[in-house]
Amino acid sequence: MRLKTINPYRSTCIVFLALFLAGCTQWRYDMGDHIRHADLDKLQQGMPLTEVIAIFGPPQRISSNVSGYVMAWEHWQVDEDSLGIRLGALGADILSLDWGKARIRGEFLLATFDREHRLSGSTVSQWDNDAGGGQGIQPFIGVVSMVDIDDLVAQMPQHLWGANSLRELPRALNSPSSPISGDAGLEQRGTPPSIGQKSLELR
Amino acid sequence: MKRLRPILMAVLCAALLSACVQYKSKRGVEVKWQSDITEQLQKGKSTRGEVLALLGPPSQLISLEDETVLYYLFERTKGDGYILILYNRFTVDARYDRAVFFFDENDILSDYSTHIHEAEDD
Repeated sequence: MRLKTINPYRSTCIVFLALFLAGCTQWRYDMGDHIRHADLDKLQQGMPLTEVIAIFGPPQRISSNVSGYVMAWEHWQVDEDSLGIRLGALGADILSLDWGKARIRGEFLLATFDREHRLSGSTVSQWDNDAGGGQGIQPFIGVVSMVDIDDLVAQMPQHLWGANSLRELPRALNSPSSPISGDAGLEQRGTPPSIGQKSLELR
Repeated sequence: MKRLRPILMAVLCAALLSACVQYKSKRGVEVKWQSDITEQLQKGKSTRGEVLALLGPPSQLISLEDETVLYYLFERTKGDGYILILYNRFTVDARYDRAVFFFDENDILSDYSTHIHEAEDD
């Protein structure tokens, strides 16, 4: 029996094929302006609205409520990493191996004002969290995304304010209680639609 | 030379298939709240009509009983990236130019604030 010798050209081609069928992709999102700690220390109960917006600028989110106004300032950084390898070089031409993960960092300042435009409360949250990820083996092409960050990097809701009332029924009926309206509170990025007032929306 | 051919082919393919991208996205109302325009506004004097005449329709109109708030937002997103087949990287920066105006029950300007992000070309 004759042993088959390894063809160096073929081996090189296989190695390069394996390399070219693998790819790593990184997305980096930076949205909004950093909220400075020194500015947060200036916040005091009863402070006039004029002073607060002079320090932080106009809020990114604003809504009225029964007791006055609620405003929010935010800064988000979202990192998405993914790696995909076609397994063709290993003889499984129809399969691809995918892996992905996301991480979020951010700051959110929420301030409420009474009807006399005085600061009635404020709270700040800062986070540096794993935002999920996954891995999988998929045939032919990657059909399912291993990381989903669309809700975290969406455009600001103010762009939809007018259009929200022109949606088809029954969705247009959600407008008065929608966080987009500016008259029914506000919500952070990434809030699941199955909680809070959105869970009552007609679809 | 024959031995190097696959390597050269691979390098050539990598060079031909690599790319770089740059993109911009602009959404929202036109930024008209530069300081030379807002200098014309006076708290306690200017009316809602005057603000609307200067800045146009807002992104959002909010009411609290007799008070009203006009909110203006312009969102600019800038991104770039490079595609090297083996390694691809994209960065996206979103900045928000915004202005908010508060009016009392007589439609007189009671408070306002504006912000335009620096070092951005139009």
